[in-house]
Amino acid sequence: MARLINSLETKLIFSFILLIVIIAGGVFFYTFSETKKALKESTRQELMSIASAVASQIDGDTFSKITVGGESSSNFVTIHNQLQKIRSDNSNIRYIYTMRRIDNNIQFVVDADYGTTDGAKIGEVYTESAPMLIEGFQHLSADTEFTTDEWGTVLSGYAPIKNSLGENVGLVGVDMDSTNVIRQQKFIGSTIYYIMGIAILLAAIIIGIFSLTIIRDIKKLNASAEAISKGSIDVVVDIKRKDEIGELADSFSRMIASLKFMMIEEKEKNRVIEEKSKARKELKRGVKK
Amino acid sequence: MSELSDKILKLTLNYIGPASQAFLERQTTKHMNGLIFADLEKNHLVDLARWVAISAALLIDGQKAKELSERILKLSS
Repeated sequence: MARLINSLETKLIFSFILLIVIIAGGVFFYTFSETKKALKESTRQELMSIASAVASQIDGDTFSKITVGGESSSNFVTIHNQLQKIRSDNSNIRYIYTMRRIDNNIQFVVDADYGTTDGAKIGEVYTESAPMLIEGFQHLSADTEFTTDEWGTVLSGYAPIKNSLGENVGLVGVDMDSTNVIRQQKFIGSTIYYIMGIAILLAAIIIGIFSLTIIRDIKKLNASAEAISKGSIDVVVDIKRKDEIGELADSFSRMIASLKFMMIEEKEKNRVIEEKSKARKELKRGVKK
Repeated sequence: MSELSDKILKLTLNYIGPASQAFLERQTTKHMNGLIFADLEKNHLVDLARWVAISAALLIDGQKAKELSERILKLSS
């Protein structure tokens, strides 16, 4: 186990995998968050332009004349019909309504859904007032985050309604169902996730093959060194690379060649000495006889 | 040492390493009628290349031994 942990193969593969995971993770989170931001921003811009277009079509003077309980008045009906038509022309709009501020209260005035269970009556107080909603009474604005209230999770855009004197008398609110945006965000997230997954897998395979070829050649060098250190003279370094490992193998091969030659020479010298000694002994034996 | 011997020694160093001189001296003295490596001349190169191809193959990869032999032979032209 300790040998496995200390091996170059484990260290190299582990380092590469760690590096890939860190880089891929960073790229994934950065790309995903930037894409989410961009998608939300484009939705906000779209909402603000819709709200602005709707606000410009509403007569601020007619709007100002609507009072609590006046749901059957012609002023209410005119704006109500206008809002319903705009919504039916734009499938992205989930809710469209007008509001005004009386003292510190924000009240619904004309809600396109009036008459249904979701619809608000004139004067119904809206309690979830977000900062962007307050800003909407002065200038174009849109929520930066999805808002969840009793009507669901939506992203809203606001534009002020002006009367003939140019005064801000209320606002138009346009809610876009967040389901589409969230679905798009999820789709982008999962697409990036799969692309990154495939990229990680490919990179891991390529790096794995690359590491294994390096390690295989280092193992060959190691085996040659071990064999020659144990006295073997049949060692040949069989590594054909043009990189630094190849250069190392060439240097190693030269050293081994020299060592082998010296070992062969040594054996040869010993053989000659042995033969001479044998001959001397035989000569002595012959002289004695 | 002659200029030619020096060239061959330098060439062989790239294949055999530090024992190159001893290796070449052995080839000339043992296989070329006791010729001293330092006295090598161009007309000896064919013989030397042949013996180098045979002996170097015992020390290094066969292909490299052949390559060394061919490079020695080229010096004769």
